[in-house]
Amino acid sequence: MSDTQNVAEAVPPVSEREVILDVRDLAVDFTTEMGRVSGVQGVSFTLHRGETLAIVGESGSGKTTTINAVLGLLPGNGDVTSGEIFFRGTDIAGYSEKALRGIRGKHIGLVPQDPMSNLNPVMRVGDQLAEVLLAHGKATRKDVRGKVNELLARAGLPDAATRARQYPHEFSGGMRQRALIAIGLACQPELLIADEPTSALDVTVQRTILDHLGSLTRDLGTAMILVTHDLGLAAERAETVIVMNKGRIVEQGPSAQILRDPQHEYTRRLVESAPSLASDRMKPINPGALTGQITEMPVILHVRDLVKEYTVRSHTDGKRKTFTAVTGVNFDLHRGTTLAIVGESGSGKSTTARIALRLEEPTSGLVEFNGTNIAHLRGRGLKTLRKQVQPIFQDPYASLNPMASVGEILEEPLKIYRLGNRAARRERAMDLLEMVALDASIYDRFATELSGGQRQRIAIARALALEPDLIICDEPVSALDVLVQAQILELLMKLQTELGLSYLFISHDLAVVRLIADQIVVMKAGEIVERGAVVDVFTSPQHEYTRMLLDSIPHIASRGTAG
Amino acid sequence: MTTQAINTAAPSTRGMSPRQRTWRRFFSSPAGYISLGTLAVFALIGIFGPMIVPYPSGLGTDILQPPTAAHPFGTDGLGLDVLAQVVWGTRMSLLVALFAGLLAVAIGAFLGIVAAYFKKADAVITTITDVMLSLPLLPLMIVVTAMVGPSIVTLTLVIGFFSWPEICRLIRSNALVVSGMPFIDGARAIGASPLRIMLKEILPMVSPLLIVNALLTGARAVIAEAGLSFLGLGDPDTWSWGRILQSAQRDGVLVSAWWQTLFPSLMILLLVLSATIVGMRFNDSRAVKVKGALK
Repeated sequence: MSDTQNVAEAVPPVSEREVILDVRDLAVDFTTEMGRVSGVQGVSFTLHRGETLAIVGESGSGKTTTINAVLGLLPGNGDVTSGEIFFRGTDIAGYSEKALRGIRGKHIGLVPQDPMSNLNPVMRVGDQLAEVLLAHGKATRKDVRGKVNELLARAGLPDAATRARQYPHEFSGGMRQRALIAIGLACQPELLIADEPTSALDVTVQRTILDHLGSLTRDLGTAMILVTHDLGLAAERAETVIVMNKGRIVEQGPSAQILRDPQHEYTRRLVESAPSLASDRMKPINPGALTGQITEMPVILHVRDLVKEYTVRSHTDGKRKTFTAVTGVNFDLHRGTTLAIVGESGSGKSTTARIALRLEEPTSGLVEFNGTNIAHLRGRGLKTLRKQVQPIFQDPYASLNPMASVGEILEEPLKIYRLGNRAARRERAMDLLEMVALDASIYDRFATELSGGQRQRIAIARALALEPDLIICDEPVSALDVLVQAQILELLMKLQTELGLSYLFISHDLAVVRLIADQIVVMKAGEIVERGAVVDVFTSPQHEYTRMLLDSIPHIASRGTAG
Repeated sequence: MTTQAINTAAPSTRGMSPRQRTWRRFFSSPAGYISLGTLAVFALIGIFGPMIVPYPSGLGTDILQPPTAAHPFGTDGLGLDVLAQVVWGTRMSLLVALFAGLLAVAIGAFLGIVAAYFKKADAVITTITDVMLSLPLLPLMIVVTAMVGPSIVTLTLVIGFFSWPEICRLIRSNALVVSGMPFIDGARAIGASPLRIMLKEILPMVSPLLIVNALLTGARAVIAEAGLSFLGLGDPDTWSWGRILQSAQRDGVLVSAWWQTLFPSLMILLLVLSATIVGMRFNDSRAVKVKGALK
C-alpha cells in the first residue's frame, strides 16, 4: 500500500496550480411544507488541480447540499439563490440540465455514499462502467471491454475480467465501492466528489479504500472533495479542511492547523469530541482493571461455549445449509463494569447481544444472568429477566414507536409490570427525563419531533424505567453525530457511576470503545480472537486482526497515536 | 420563520400528535374537505332523511312521472316517489357499507397482524387468503345469498366476509415491515406480551391503512350491494339504491324512465368517489409512514 501520510509532497505547491473549482458566496434555499428554508449560505472555497479538500460537518450542516449544488443535483424543491460556481473558469451555477450532463461524469466524477444502493442490481457491473465510457465518448463498442477491465483492475478489483461480468449482489460492500470508484474515475475527471465514500463500510475495508482512492487521484492529478462527518478522517486524508455548521462555513484552513489550533468555538468542540482524536478516556480507568481486581467483582453475565446456527438457503443452488453466526463464545461481565464486544459486520457481535437479551435462543451453550441460565427461559422466569436486562438499540429513529408520545414510551414498561397508578407513573417518567437531562416539557411531545440525540436519551430513559441491573447497548452511538455521540457516552458513564449499572457494549468503533469500556472482547467471523482489559488491548494487541482494527482508526501525526 | 401565515401549513407542528398532523395535512386542500363533506352529507341523509321523508309504500296515483315540483326525482311504475326511495335507500346502503366494511377490516386486520407476527401462522393464513382471492366473487356471493335467502343481514355478512382477504394481504405486508423494526424488539425486551405488541405497537402503525381500506371496502360494498339487489338478491322489503334500479328493470322502464336510474346511480357514484378520494388523500397525508410496502 502506498504512503498516504505525505499527501502534500507533490510540486509545485498546491496554491500555485490551476484553479479547478471556485465557489463564491453560494446560497441554496429549499421550499418545504414549512415555507422556505435556507440550506446553505455564503459558502466560498477554492480547489486547485490535484488538491484534496474535505468538507466536515454533522448531519444537516449543508455539506451534501453544497456538493449537490456543484453537481447540479439539488432535489426538485431546492435552488441556488445566489453565488457563482466556477468550474475551470466557467460559471456553471446557471447551466441547463443538458449542459450539466456533459460535465457530470466526464469532468466531475462522483463516488456516492452507499455502495449497496448505488449500483443497478439487474445490470452487470462491467456494463454499468461501460455505459459511462460510451456516454461520454471515451470508448467505442469495440474497445470498451478492454477499457472496463483496465479500470476495474486499477480500482483494485482482482480478476477484473470475471468481475466485470458479475452482478452487484455478487460483490461485497468494499468491492462495490471499488466499482463505484472505477465509475467515478472512468473518464479521468478533473474533479472527483466523494460523498462519505466509506461510512457504510467496515473500518478495515474503509482504510484500504481510502488509501486506494488517495493514490489513484494523486496519480491522475484529480482534485477531490471528500465529504465526511469524521474530522479525524478528513484531517488525515485532505490538505484543506472546511468545517460546516448549520449551512455555513465556520472555519477553513490547512488540516493540521484546524486540528492543532481550531479558531472557532464549534470546531474546538468537534476536535475535542471526535473519538478518533480524543486522547483521554471519558471514564477513569477502573483501578481494578490493571491489577486484575475487576475479575473479583461478582459476575452478572456469564457466557460459556455459546453457539448460534441459522438454517439458510444457499444463493447458488438453493439447498439448505447451516450458517454459524456465533461459535465458542465465552466471556464474563462483572457487575458495575463495561464489557465491549468489538467487531465488524458479520462478526456475530449483534447475535451475541440478541441472545443476551433473550430475543433469540442459542443453539447451544450457557448464558447465566446472576447465576440463572437464561438461554431457554420462558414464561414467568423470562418476564422477571426482562425487568432486569434492558436494551438500547442503534438507530433511535427506529427503536421508538413513532406513533407514541414520549410519555407513553416511558410509561409503557411500568404499565406492562403494572407498577404504580397513573400519577405515580407520570412522576417516574418525569424523574427519568431528568436523569437523562431532558426538559419535562418533552413529556407530551412525539418521538418524530425529536432530534437523534434526544431520541437516544429517551431510549436510555426507557431502559432505566424498570431499574435494571444490566443494559445491553447495541451500537448506541453509531447513528449519532460526533458531538451528540460524546454527550450520550458521557450520560451512559454518569448513569453507570450513579446507579451501578453493568453494560454490555456492542460496537464496531474501537475509538468509542476506548473511551468507556473496562474490558474488551474482539470478535471476528463468529469467534473471539482477543480479549482483555481495555488498556492492554490498546497498548499491546496480540491478534493480527485487532492490530488491523486499531490501525484503521484515523491517526493524526501530531496527537492521534498518543492514546 | 417570521413571515405571516401566508402558508396555511406554516404554524409549528410542535406538540401535535402524528394523528393531528395527518388531519391537518388532510384538510390543507379542497379535495380533503369537499370529499369528507360529501361523506358527511350522505351520513346526515342516511340518519335524518327517513325522519322527514315518508316511507315509500303502497300505490300512488302518479305513475312514471318525470321530475316535477311535487316529485323532484319523479315517480316509479307504482307511482312511488323516487326521492323518498333514494333517501331511504341511502340509509340502507350506508348501513350495509358500514357493517360490511367493519367486518372485512376486523377480520383482515386481525389475520394480517397475526400472520405477520407469528411466523408459524403465516403460511396457513397466507394460503387461505390466496385461495379466497382467487375465487370468482360475484357468482359466489350470488350462490351464497340465494342459498341463505336474501335479507339485508345476509347481504352485509356475505359482502363483509368476501372482502377481507385483500385487507389481510395488505395489512400483513405492512405489519411484516413493522414487526421487523427495532422498537418491536425493544417492546419484547421490556417484557410486553405478544398480544400487547400486536395491539399497542403494530396496530397503531397500520391503523391509517385500516381507515383507508375501511373506506374503500365500504365503497366496494355499496357497489356489491347495488349489484346483488339489482339481480334481485336484496331484501324485497327494504329500499336500497340497488332495489330502485331493480324495480326499474322489473318494470321494463330502464331506458324510458331515466330519472329512476339516474338518481340512484348518481348517489352510488358520488359516494364511491368521495369515499375513494377521502381514503387516498388520508393515505397521502399520513404523518408516519412505514417504509417498504405501500408508500
